[in-house]
Amino acid sequence: MSTDAPPTDATKLFHPHFAGHDQISARTLGFWLYMLSDALIFTALFAAYAVLNNPMSAAGGPIAPQVVNPVEGLWQTYAVLGSVATYSLGTVALKSGNKAGVMLGIILSIVLALVFLGFETHDLLGLLAKGDGPARSGYLSAFFILIATHGLHMVFGIIWMLVMLVQIPTMGFTANVVARLINLRMFWQFQATIWVLVYIYVYMIGAY
Amino acid sequence: MSAPATSPLDHPEVRQASAWRYIAGFITSMVLMQAALMVTLHQHLPYQEYVFTTGGLALVALLCQAALFFGLDISRAQIWKSVSLVLTIPLFILSVGLTVWMFQSLAQRTMIMPVTTVQPTLLE
Repeated sequence: MSTDAPPTDATKLFHPHFAGHDQISARTLGFWLYMLSDALIFTALFAAYAVLNNPMSAAGGPIAPQVVNPVEGLWQTYAVLGSVATYSLGTVALKSGNKAGVMLGIILSIVLALVFLGFETHDLLGLLAKGDGPARSGYLSAFFILIATHGLHMVFGIIWMLVMLVQIPTMGFTANVVARLINLRMFWQFQATIWVLVYIYVYMIGAY
Repeated sequence: MSAPATSPLDHPEVRQASAWRYIAGFITSMVLMQAALMVTLHQHLPYQEYVFTTGGLALVALLCQAALFFGLDISRAQIWKSVSLVLTIPLFILSVGLTVWMFQSLAQRTMIMPVTTVQPTLLE
């Protein structure tokens, strides 16, 4: 494609530095498509969990009713939904360019995410201490991988938030910073969506 | 995809942030999860009805999150996210549904479980 001709509506996407190109929309849509592919990873893990949550896959070890506690899981649900709500409310402050409001939302969100991860780590370490680690059975492999994959997403989100806490005061609300904040909001809301599925399917239906 | 904005803070993705939507999304999700927990703790329902009830509550929670957290709709700024999600949902259902169906068939033909270990799962 020639780069000499001025871009038209049909070819703007091939001229990323064209002044009329809407970079924030392009980046958020691209990140959204990444999240849908990420959701397919969780779909595969849920499929594996559905198959392996069975006494025949427990190798004499525990399965869901002995491993999860839906009441304790509700506290994790409070924490992750609260974290998503505080970050999202922080982006309301972004509308008025309020740096302190955005950063306060991020800090509260990190605190609640750490509470969530504290519950999760406590549960997994408790299982490991009893000898019920991921190598114990097919069921426990699926359980650990599903829970840990979600937990790793949360850790990555916290790291991303820490980076934004540095970039907001140093760089201000540039197009790049705003696009990252919007993508992080989608990423963080996605963690709440995945957790709702984990809570219902693993902690409730699994505990029946 | 929306038209370019002069300032990043005027972009539709920024302007769509709404305190009432996020608070409503948080409260709705919490109420639905608590309702599912109540159903689980009381366990009055047979297994299949229980799965449909809690699954239905999860579905409503997911729809609320799509509308209230993600702000998905058919506006110019959000239409392609909504379309891509609708086109991907069948892949989620097929992935889990076909996997469970295949292993359910396998389990019925090859896994003779002792009565003492039988427990309701999605494979039954």
